[in-house]
Amino acid sequence: MPRKSTGLLIAALLALTAGLAACGSSGGGSGSSGSSSKVLKVWWYEGQGSAYQIAWDQAIADFKKQHPGVTVQFSLKSFNQMQQNASMILNSNNVPDVMEYNKGDATTGLLSKQGLLTDLTPEASKYGWDKLLGPDLQVTAKYDAKGVMGSGNWYGVSDYAEYVMVYYNKAMFAKYGLQVPTTMAQLTADMDTFVKHGVTPFANAGNDYVAMQYLYEMELSQSSQQQVQDYERYTGKVDFHSAAWTNAVKTFQDWVSKGYIAKNSVGLTATQAGNDFETGKNPMMLSGSWWYGTFESGIKNFQWGTFLWPGNTLNAGSGGNLFVVPKNAASKELAYDFINDTLQPDVQKLLADNGAVPVAATTDGVSNPLNVELIKNFQTLANNNGLAYYPDWPTPNFYNTLLAQTQDLMNGASGDSVLSTLQTNYDQYVSSLG
Amino acid sequence: MTVTAERRRSGAATRGAGTGAGAGTRSAPYLTYLLPATALFAVVIAVPLVMNIYTSFTRWTGVGPRQWAGLANYRQLWHDSEFWASMWHSLALVTAMAVIPTVLGLLVAAALFDVIAKRYSERTASFLRACIYLPQVLPIIVAAIVWGWILDPQYGALNVALRDIGLGFLAHDLLGDPHTALLTVMAVLVWFQLGYPVVIFMAALQRTDPALSEAAEIDGATWRQRLWSVVVPQIRPEIYVVLLTCTVASLRAFGWIYALTSGGPGVSTQVPSYYSYQSFFTDLDVGYGSAIATVMTLIIAAVAVVFLWVQRRHAG
Repeated sequence: MPRKSTGLLIAALLALTAGLAACGSSGGGSGSSGSSSKVLKVWWYEGQGSAYQIAWDQAIADFKKQHPGVTVQFSLKSFNQMQQNASMILNSNNVPDVMEYNKGDATTGLLSKQGLLTDLTPEASKYGWDKLLGPDLQVTAKYDAKGVMGSGNWYGVSDYAEYVMVYYNKAMFAKYGLQVPTTMAQLTADMDTFVKHGVTPFANAGNDYVAMQYLYEMELSQSSQQQVQDYERYTGKVDFHSAAWTNAVKTFQDWVSKGYIAKNSVGLTATQAGNDFETGKNPMMLSGSWWYGTFESGIKNFQWGTFLWPGNTLNAGSGGNLFVVPKNAASKELAYDFINDTLQPDVQKLLADNGAVPVAATTDGVSNPLNVELIKNFQTLANNNGLAYYPDWPTPNFYNTLLAQTQDLMNGASGDSVLSTLQTNYDQYVSSLG
Repeated sequence: MTVTAERRRSGAATRGAGTGAGAGTRSAPYLTYLLPATALFAVVIAVPLVMNIYTSFTRWTGVGPRQWAGLANYRQLWHDSEFWASMWHSLALVTAMAVIPTVLGLLVAAALFDVIAKRYSERTASFLRACIYLPQVLPIIVAAIVWGWILDPQYGALNVALRDIGLGFLAHDLLGDPHTALLTVMAVLVWFQLGYPVVIFMAALQRTDPALSEAAEIDGATWRQRLWSVVVPQIRPEIYVVLLTCTVASLRAFGWIYALTSGGPGVSTQVPSYYSYQSFFTDLDVGYGSAIATVMTLIIAAVAVVFLWVQRRHAG
């Protein structure tokens, strides 16, 4: 009896294991069997009501017209869901045909290095994407064998661009008789006026990407495009104790101590900083073009505008998120057609009309003066070869490192120790690349 | 079904009685009933644990092949000041979630049981107990977000109230200042955790022998002496259980840090569980994240073994 029941136990365990294994293999099988059907699976994570969603819905409509026999299956994902699970999803056979993914080494670069994405180089030339996207925007579309952006094959295509600028509250500028600054001296004078009247000039968020972008803009004010390339693409040695970085940490701490940036914004998130600008608490906010749509629909009580960081030729910015085609996608040809649809004039016009920067970057037919300003400022940047990407891109953990270090700076840590931490972290990653 | 079960039971009993084969023979048929739990344990705990330990010896971004790295992750851990800071913070959380709630919970439970219930009514004591237990019912993320609002340096209820009543000089960015962030998180955790020991201890107090306390009282023992020398020894098993479960919970504390501070400002509230999560999902250093998780698993297992050993020794 004991032997019998132990045998039963083992048999049942084996059966269970076999069952689980069978589940796994049948899951894979069903995924690959979908290849014969005419379905295009599209995933993205831009929210409802955003310029991107409006424009890409149009791309789906256009695609359906061109491919009447094809069913488009769209799924809205969340950014976190994609960030945390992309590798796992793409390793399976149940993948979308085309999906939005973040640009940069730690995201698309990593997936391309692992062979999970389709090389789009032939399509880039076939569809003319290599002509449509300027060299600045191609940087984030191409990745080399190590997954480093800027050269190699095309692994994604973006149909919009983004950059960092200063949003300002026209009513508050008018109230204190201030002009839009074009130099750092003018900006400083404006900030002093606000502080004198008890107003903190800039909205900030130390517990998010916002604070590190202030630091980066300050660094860029004394940096060159070559230094940016070295920093982002490891083309040369990066010294965090350089004049530019040393000046950046000093200026940043100076701004905090003078009250240009509130010290107690150290624990805030980007959403809270955005709210502070929207509610008129702070008359300015440094952030990306991704806030445009939110501010256009959310701010009703005052007029607002934007200007580029005074005195900078270089500004944080890049091509937008990419549409990538997973290696295991079942309908690749359809995916290419869809990507091409996102680059057509009607879709590009929708992006421009809804507060995004289309890669075509033309203001033709755009009526809203705010949107015209957005595109014109981008043209200025692109013409000056001024896109400097983002400060947290060089290493996968640089976002967390920079976030913690800018928080420390706001709380009075020594600039030198902060720069040393950044140097160690950066060097460790670069040496691990081999 | 019932008939079969009856037959089996009687059959086993007969054989057991006849041969003297004992417990082994009797328990054999019941092994089958262990099957679901064994399978679940294997799938949910054993396999992931083994995979995690294996991954901790590799370099892995979470996708593609793992590269064998030997002890490199553990060596890195040994020299990582952020990891050691997070370990110290863990000790602070053990204080906030296990030590303080156990001591405070004992006092509150005794006060509710001895004073409130006797002087007022059982119902008042039950009501107060429910109020103290309420935070335990709230989802951690919801409670953490609400605390985040309350403590917001600009609009938060705490700072606004302080300014409104003329105590503006006390208003402070509690979660943004590295000197106060961890203490603030600890205070919130005490608020959250207190209800659990109170409920357990009140139940324990119900089963204590009132005659012992009364005898001590007649002999002139104060309330404090009775609590410490008469009541506490009687409810020692419950105290061990509370200390063990609270310590383990504090070592796993993740949701509070995730929603309140993200480990900041700087790394002043970083804890191993959140550091492991960051390494896994944002830094894409899965091997290192696994090493942190493995170390934490060992520590939690050691804590559990020590507690159980002490408990058994006292019980013996």
